[in-house]
Amino acid sequence: MNAVWYYFERDFIKWTRWKVNIFAALVTPAAWLIFVGLTLPVTFTDNYLEYLTPGIMVMSVLFASFQSGNLVIFDKVLGFLNKFFAMPPQRESYLLGKILFISFRGLMQASVIFCVAVLFGITVYSLSSILLTFFILFIFGALFASIATTIALAVDDHDGYAAINAMITMPLFFASSALMPYEDMPQWLRTIASINPVSLAIDNARMLLGGGEPFVGQIIMLTAAAVIVLVICIHVFRSATL
Amino acid sequence: MSKYFDSLCAVDALDLHVDNEIFGLLGPNGAGKTTIVRILVTLLRPTKGTASICGFDIANEPKKVRNVISYVPQEMALDIRLTGKENVLLYAKLYGIHDRINKVNEVLELMDLTDRCDDLVKTYSGGMRRRLELAQALVHEPKVLFLDEPTLGLDVSARRRIWNHILSLRKHDITIFMTTHYMEEADEYCDRVAIIDKGRITALGTPQELKSSLEISNPTLNDVFMDKITTREDECAFDGYKFRTMLRRRS
Ligand SMILES: Nc1ncnc2c1ncn2[C@@H]1O[C@H](COP(=O)(O)OP(=O)(O)O)[C@@H](O)[C@H]1O
Ligand SMILES: [Mg+2]
Repeated sequence: MNAVWYYFERDFIKWTRWKVNIFAALVTPAAWLIFVGLTLPVTFTDNYLEYLTPGIMVMSVLFASFQSGNLVIFDKVLGFLNKFFAMPPQRESYLLGKILFISFRGLMQASVIFCVAVLFGITVYSLSSILLTFFILFIFGALFASIATTIALAVDDHDGYAAINAMITMPLFFASSALMPYEDMPQWLRTIASINPVSLAIDNARMLLGGGEPFVGQIIMLTAAAVIVLVICIHVFRSATL
Repeated sequence: MSKYFDSLCAVDALDLHVDNEIFGLLGPNGAGKTTIVRILVTLLRPTKGTASICGFDIANEPKKVRNVISYVPQEMALDIRLTGKENVLLYAKLYGIHDRINKVNEVLELMDLTDRCDDLVKTYSGGMRRRLELAQALVHEPKVLFLDEPTLGLDVSARRRIWNHILSLRKHDITIFMTTHYMEEADEYCDRVAIIDKGRITALGTPQELKSSLEISNPTLNDVFMDKITTREDECAFDGYKFRTMLRRRS
């Protein structure tokens, strides 16, 4: 079990040692918030920033999760996995360490966005609703980090992975309630958006950060989905040949 | 044991016993050397048959096997943004070593890396990186050390240095199972060698025995090799992607 932490530590030190990494990871989502949130001429709300913030937080966790599949590809093509998997810790320690790091990094980005949004004057309700929001983001991040790392294990080049990444994340993001409410969507999009796990995370975050009550059933569903996917991914990692 | 990749037979009914010695596995590219090592270090499962290391079965007791071995693959996998010491420390942690700091310092000293151990690996030469990998591999006092092409791509002095370190490990009673395609090295340093071709052993014995089996004057291991190998160079698989990765890592 300790191995999970050591793998996490390895990624964390590598990440913090390259300052550009941190800067880019934190500035990009903030830029989204500022350029989209403060400029788009929308009519359905008079505080688009407040509407958009939860969506951008979820988006950056989603993108961060998927992008991090590249970490696994690096470890695979450069031979790290060969070494790690010939050592005593179970293979899933590596997987869990990665998921932990990826989710952690996603949460860091989400916090920055939240802070920027607060600076721009969105209303802050209770601390507990913020904590619950971050819990949802963590589960959400872990769900997609599991999927991303497992896809990455099967693919061995960065270009191929980038294509798969774009193919999955873009539709997930645009077919969600991130940018506009369900009422403003065309019917076909509304149907897709309402079953999209991305919308599920966004709707809850929006509800909580807007001072409302979360949809407990949905949170349980999301958690259950994350656990099921994780179990599948552990199985894939155990039986994969490199 | 045997290993098939679909219909391709990479290891063909290999039957081999290795004692406490330096054992060299020689063969042309694509002969199946890496595949054999990867099976022995529990990364691949043999299609047929099995093997045991220090009495532990590779298929049924992989965890026990992993506790007594170390594996240094042919690619150099080091975190270049970490220091030499941090790289070794990670392994000490993953192996669950108790007296970590002392042990890490000890293996760094053993590999002559103490004075550079706090520099980022980015600044290390190819030879130093290989020695750092050896330090990582030694941190849990393995009984068997698997080295896949340990001197590939290094210059003569770096190669000699690596070899001297490998020889010194024999004093610690470590069995070394290694692959190479530098015949001179195998001749000079290995206790016994096996030449394999297309997954089959075509010659096995001490370098001396193999050389004296040839009926020419002053035979070298290269002559034995040419005699035993039927694979022509142009049939060999060339993994360009791996090759490029390797070159990039070495720069
Ligand atoms: N994962 C794999 N899938 C299919 N074929 C493989 C795989 N790994 C190795 N091979 C094939 O098995 C043969 C032996 O390869 P390898 O053990 O890497 O040779 P060597 O290390 O002696 O150069 C080669 O023909 C190679 O193409
Ligand atoms: Mg090889």
